Amino acid sequence: MKLLQSPTFKAFSEPLVKNNPVFIQSLGICSALAVTVQLQTAVVMALAMTSVTAFSSLTISSMRKVIPRNVRMIVELSVIASLVILADQLLRAYLYEISKQLSVFVGLIITNCIVMGRSETYALGNPPIKSFMDGLGNGAGYGLVLVTVAAIRELLGAGKLFGFAVIPQAAYDFGYMNMGFMQLAPAAFIIIGLLVWLQKTLMKE
Amino acid sequence: MSDQLKSILFTAAVALVCSLLLTAAASGLKARKLRNVAVDRQKNILKAVGLIDPDQTVSASQIEQRYAENIRCYTLAGTGRIVDGDTSDGLPVCFYIKDGGAAAYILPVDSRGLWGKIHGYMAIEKDGKTVAGFSVYSHNETPGLGGEIEKPWFQKNFVGKKIVDEKGDFVSVGIVKGKVTDVIAKAQQPNYVDGISGASLTGKFLTGGLKKVLMEYEPLSEQFRKGAVDLPAGG
Repeated sequence: MKLLQSPTFKAFSEPLVKNNPVFIQSLGICSALAVTVQLQTAVVMALAMTSVTAFSSLTISSMRKVIPRNVRMIVELSVIASLVILADQLLRAYLYEISKQLSVFVGLIITNCIVMGRSETYALGNPPIKSFMDGLGNGAGYGLVLVTVAAIRELLGAGKLFGFAVIPQAAYDFGYMNMGFMQLAPAAFIIIGLLVWLQKTLMKE
Repeated sequence: MSDQLKSILFTAAVALVCSLLLTAAASGLKARKLRNVAVDRQKNILKAVGLIDPDQTVSASQIEQRYAENIRCYTLAGTGRIVDGDTSDGLPVCFYIKDGGAAAYILPVDSRGLWGKIHGYMAIEKDGKTVAGFSVYSHNETPGLGGEIEKPWFQKNFVGKKIVDEKGDFVSVGIVKGKVTDVIAKAQQPNYVDGISGASLTGKFLTGGLKKVLMEYEPLSEQFRKGAVDLPAGG
């Protein structure tokens, strides 16, 4: 299909797996550890981060021809910070319970290297629509990692997915126990390491 | 125009646009945010008296309705009287109203914790002696260790415990290190709950915090023990 071959679509699809920001570019790992204890928080975090990256790339790209070179980082930061604060306000107004669970991590999206990284390396040199798609793709690639890690951690650490019990009571009665380690941050680290290994092995073939 | 001036003006323009956008968003969303915080507080008070099951999901309007039907909040003045008014010179206290009278009273607990403050509510039955419930809604303790104070299993242990000893003197309710049945004499067991393994410091700080709060509200608890509680009319 012509659409799937267009450079604009490729800007979106490449960061999903082939150039995944976490696994291949090694960006944004810190928050991946903290918000992946439950699937629900991981999904909200991924959506917040994707919107911030997409819209900040779009905004920076639209302004790329007028931003003075020597203040470009300050301008990028202002745009990103404003979008993050906006996202935080919307969460507090419409998804209060989840915003309490995410607490400081929404604010920390500002520090997520992926957002600033894409602004600096892609948005400054590419047209707005392509930059928007690139931001969307990187956010989605990051989101895929968050959701995968969270699914593993919630399933093994609490026997649930999205808060719904998946492991039947019969298994617990038989002697099965939740892996408490999965609820702590080092577990996320190990899972990400194993997934990087898996991806690189599959990509070699 | 010099390059430097251009940079400064551009950055100032960006800052202005960003501030306008954020101010608009913040004020536009303010009403919703305030309602969320108020509903959250009401939910925690309802949880402390067991009017909401911790595993249930209740909608905001249901919380507001249940709260309006069952809870009345007043101020405990320095004189020991319960007055209907603002809490600037007195202590805030809420009552669970059932059959025209107070079935329990709910106190805000603000205790020191290991890594920050612990905030919650403790409900005492109208006998002024028995704990009706305990809920924690904010803390900074370590997840899996001190963080267990937010779990239902820990909070349920407080139900039925006593804040007075067999003679009727105030002793508060404390968290031991280990299991109550192993370390406390039978006569004092109603004044303690089991500790959380790996969280003895959290337990120690929370014990101190609870004692301090309950001590502040002793004048009210004594009124309940005597059965002489005067609630403002109406409400």
